[in-house]
Amino acid sequence: MARLVDITVPEAVRVRACAGDEGARQVIYAAVAPATFTLIRRMISQRSAAEDVFQDTMMILFERLTEFRHEAPLGAWLRRIAISRCLMHLRSPWRRVRLALEGEALDELPAGNAGVTAPLPPEIIDVERALESLAPTARAVLWMYEVEGYSHAEIAQAFGRSISFSKSQLARAHLKLRAWFEPQGHRPTCTLI
Amino acid sequence: MHTDLEHEQSVARQLRALPPDSAHPYGWDEFRRRSEPRPTLTGHLASGRALAATVAVAVAACALAIRVGGLAHHPHAAPGQVQYGVARHEPAPRPADETPAERYLASLPREPALVHVGTRAAVETLEDDIAQVDDLVSAASAGSTPPASLQALLAERTQLVSSLVQVRYAESLAYASR
Repeated sequence: MARLVDITVPEAVRVRACAGDEGARQVIYAAVAPATFTLIRRMISQRSAAEDVFQDTMMILFERLTEFRHEAPLGAWLRRIAISRCLMHLRSPWRRVRLALEGEALDELPAGNAGVTAPLPPEIIDVERALESLAPTARAVLWMYEVEGYSHAEIAQAFGRSISFSKSQLARAHLKLRAWFEPQGHRPTCTLI
Repeated sequence: MHTDLEHEQSVARQLRALPPDSAHPYGWDEFRRRSEPRPTLTGHLASGRALAATVAVAVAACALAIRVGGLAHHPHAAPGQVQYGVARHEPAPRPADETPAERYLASLPREPALVHVGTRAAVETLEDDIAQVDDLVSAASAGSTPPASLQALLAERTQLVSSLVQVRYAESLAYASR
């Protein structure tokens, strides 16, 4: 599966979709939906919340398709929308209240998800669980920086915070992941603080 | 033991190598179904009002039944005399002719119910605050901030870290007591 940022759609299909052609919209959906959902799931671990954000993202895509200016591939444009929706979800006071009330039960572990089509190798599950162990903000910063290629300045702008915020969140995420992956004997005792 | 840089590069490599999420999104038909406009606001309000009215009537009926039933069967009430503020914590044995409502009230636990609240939100907030103070400390160290302000920031950071330690300690105690 191609990365979301690299996905393009033929201009003729986009024009037809802008005109309301159902078939063209379906083609665009099939092209971008898997990569978009994967990105959202990496940033929001709870499946039901990820589906809500995915739905919002795809609806915004079709509503604003006429505003697309070809300055970047369609996938890159959609990625910006998806990340923006994810960060809005993470900042939502409702999510914080639910987190406080439901605690650890809110997040699902990747191995237990519904709809898994094939068993994953243990090392992949380990990486996914390590990612799950991070706080949502730290996970989002880590993913945006290390995988999506955002700079600290861009992350800071997306979060409405300073560059130091992005750097400290990334450093904290790496510290926790290191504690996760290092053998037990090598784990520093105070890395979680 | 890896260096920090090696570790970060290794983590980045592993993250990029993660396969696409195996739980696929729903298809086009489901997307279309979920995109359909929901019932209008007036419809919501109308159904909400009807529901609220039904609940209010039911609560009033229950209250009336409890009040009338309680007065009719109270052993100490003289004919024609109304008694208010009857204590519910009288010692057993309870009278045999108590109403179902009284039996239900008597069966409620004496202690308030315990609600377990997760610590993740608190930890997350504290970590965010520490990161924010780190920002300010970095900026203050680089600029020409008075030493007093820097000291205040460091003191605040110490306090936040101390709070985080307390939350973590409480977490470990709760975990150990399970």
